[in-house]
Amino acid sequence: MISYSYLKCKDLAQAYDLLDKEEQVYPLAGGTDLLVGMRGGKFTAKLVVDIKELAELKILEENDQGIVIGAAVTLNEIATFKPILDHALVLAEGAHSVGSYPIRNRATLAGNICNASPAADTAAPLFTLNAIVKITGSKGKRTVPINEFFIGPGKNALHKGELVESVLIPRPYPKGAGTYMKASRTGSVDLATVGVAIQRWDDQVQVAVGAVAATPVRAISVEKAINENGEKDFAKAASLARNDISPITDLRGSREYRYHMAEVLIRRGIEKVMEV
Amino acid sequence: MSEKIAINFTVNGDNESRDVEVGQTLMKFIRDDLHLTGTKSGCEIGECGACTVILDGKPVNSCLVLAVELDGKELVTIEGLTKNGELDRIQKAFIDHAAFQCGYCTPGMIMSARALLERTPEPTDEDINEALSGNLCRCGAYQEIREAVKSASKK
Ligand SMILES: Cc1cc2nc3c(=O)[nH]c(=O)nc-3n(C[C@H](O)[C@H](O)[C@H](O)COP(=O)(O)OP(=O)(O)OC[C@H]3O[C@@H](n4cnc5c(N)ncnc54)[C@H](O)[C@@H]3O)c2cc1C
Ligand code: FES
Ligand code: FES
Repeated sequence: MISYSYLKCKDLAQAYDLLDKEEQVYPLAGGTDLLVGMRGGKFTAKLVVDIKELAELKILEENDQGIVIGAAVTLNEIATFKPILDHALVLAEGAHSVGSYPIRNRATLAGNICNASPAADTAAPLFTLNAIVKITGSKGKRTVPINEFFIGPGKNALHKGELVESVLIPRPYPKGAGTYMKASRTGSVDLATVGVAIQRWDDQVQVAVGAVAATPVRAISVEKAINENGEKDFAKAASLARNDISPITDLRGSREYRYHMAEVLIRRGIEKVMEV
Repeated sequence: MSEKIAINFTVNGDNESRDVEVGQTLMKFIRDDLHLTGTKSGCEIGECGACTVILDGKPVNSCLVLAVELDGKELVTIEGLTKNGELDRIQKAFIDHAAFQCGYCTPGMIMSARALLERTPEPTDEDINEALSGNLCRCGAYQEIREAVKSASKK
């Protein structure tokens, strides 16, 4: 058995103070990445601070700013929350595509982005919704746009002594449909080989792709072709995604396969949200 | 020797207090300390569902929960479904439909199915597929399992 200390935090301040002062200390939310990672030797923790029972992190609500998703809210809660289904279906679909039903009863959105896998299934949807990450820590609060939160595989924008408090889906909400399309080796319980989020914003689209670069990325070339140059041939627009991604070959798929699937899923997604 | 923490919880309706080692998973705790060996160990990384239990009404992979996290919670394992020697209807349905071969996945399957019937008494095929998406059956009894869940939902 791996040996470390465990503390169930009483409030947020206790959590970030410990994160600040101690070394090799990890926040524990659903534990679906952390416990697997500790067992596999990816993380060596001296202290685990359990934040999932903190009331301030369990907030899931809609207010004047938009939809607030607290860091301890689970993916099953997100995938069934009415304002998200109504205004951010792309995120509900991304959340729903993670793992399996019991995994989603534990796994959180904050854990998904903090783990910073390029394949994180909630990430691409958040990119297309211009989500804002609210961070809190011993030095105060700050916000980071989601597209600046991922730094590299396993690396996020948090400084020592900070944690994610919530993620905001800001108003105004997108006008138009959104969808998340995932290619994986099995129907469930597998990471994305390629994950594509498409969100319509009135007559424009935003496109983001996961598992095809060191971080999730926006397919800017595709967006530009459609939004600025009025490209109506969506297959042609989707083929431009090659300029925006740099996939690798691994056990889930080759580099070429990923290029191909990104293009296919982007085309299908755009056709779906544009109702072709 | 790793640190021990005192926890209070209920398991299958009974109140219990124990000292648990930090780092021990709920799955190991259930099997080795509570001696409830119906909960199985498969992959120990959340992929197979053999270790599924119901924690505060929700199915979870007990290999991805720490035993210390059980404090203040209500745990139901496969042993808790039988009341006064009488099998639960979902257990009976598995027997009636021969929804297993080796039976290793069965406790986990039944716990996932049981939690589904609690939240959705009349599930669609899609609901069943979703609910059992985290439970692997190496013997491939999926068809019979789905039939069993459907038949239990009608009663
Ligand atoms: C069987 C299985 C299947 C999976 N399938 C998928 C999949 O299909 N798609 C996918 O994207 N992922 C998948 N995952 C990975 C994982 O479930 C998700 O990334 C999940 O969302 C992580 O959330 P968590 O709450 O469990 O995080 P945890 O494991 O609790 O934490 C993850 C990391 O983030 C840190 N952390 C957590 N919360 C915060 C916070 N508020 N502030 C700062 N740091 C924090 C932790 O210290 C840790 O380093 C799978 C995992 C398993 C075991
Ligand atoms: S042993 Fe827990 S999911 Fe496989
Ligand atoms: S019956 Fe053997 S694994 Fe399912």
